[in-house]
Amino acid sequence: MIIGIGVITFLLRFAPLALLARLQLAGWLQQALRFVPAAVMAAIIAPPLFFAVGAPNIVPDLPRMAAAALAALIAWRTRSTLLTVVLGMLALWALQALLG
Amino acid sequence: MSMSILPFGLVCGAAASNAGLTTGQALAMSWVIFAGSAQIASTQLFAGGAPLLVILATATVINLRFLMYGASLAQGFGGLDRRWQAAIAYLLTDQAYALTIIRRSGSQRPAHLHWFYLGLAGATWVCWQLATIAGVLLGNLVPPSWSLDFIVPLTFIAMLVPLLGDRPMVLAAATGGGAAVLLLLPLQLNLIAAALLGVAAGMVAEKFGGGR
Repeated sequence: MIIGIGVITFLLRFAPLALLARLQLAGWLQQALRFVPAAVMAAIIAPPLFFAVGAPNIVPDLPRMAAAALAALIAWRTRSTLLTVVLGMLALWALQALLG
Repeated sequence: MSMSILPFGLVCGAAASNAGLTTGQALAMSWVIFAGSAQIASTQLFAGGAPLLVILATATVINLRFLMYGASLAQGFGGLDRRWQAAIAYLLTDQAYALTIIRRSGSQRPAHLHWFYLGLAGATWVCWQLATIAGVLLGNLVPPSWSLDFIVPLTFIAMLVPLLGDRPMVLAAATGGGAAVLLLLPLQLNLIAAALLGVAAGMVAEKFGGGR
């Protein structure tokens, strides 16, 4: 698994550098690639907020959702990874203590 | 700047050791793959018992963005010899790409941009390896009740929010996130399907939304 992902990842990084001095990526593909990071990250962030670990049904995890919303606000305002992570973590602990 | 990946690397290492990978495997991931989002996603899928093909496909979609970075860097680095290109490709990260582009767009085009890149990306690589090692070692010591796994979504939130500069991008993220929650697909195919839907939503919005 690890080697497989490693090989694929390297090829994705290497191919355009090696080939694109001559070729150009198609316009629609460039357009699509622009959205990949945002779509992927949102898809990684969202599920654990709505499912308790292993639960088959939607069970909102309120402390985590509230802390995530606050963290998004902090990220928007400060653009700082460190502040977002530290304050988001503190918020989660406080909310977990309050809401049980 | 290379230091900014430290918390992310810590989490990656901790997540890998908690997912049941051995220390050697966890370190090999950082060595061989060297791509945080793909490492996190594949360890989560692995822990959830997803089949190998799904893990590989998901990692491929997540790392598709390197095609875009590579295509953009090819303008400056396309003329270098193969060994340089291989080194640049292996060390390519979001951070290295972003800073190199900023540097390149400066008023006078720097003559030794590939050396600048090598120093920057090399430092990032060292930080990443050290952080994963620390994460693997510490991951077993911290009890789950501390909820430190929440650092993963927090790091992604910090990276995602600044990207949301225009409406199609917001829609791509909202669709990706919503679909990941609502789609109940077998074999842990949610992530890859949600990502593709998000990309499609962004493209449609851009096509029909007119201006930004």
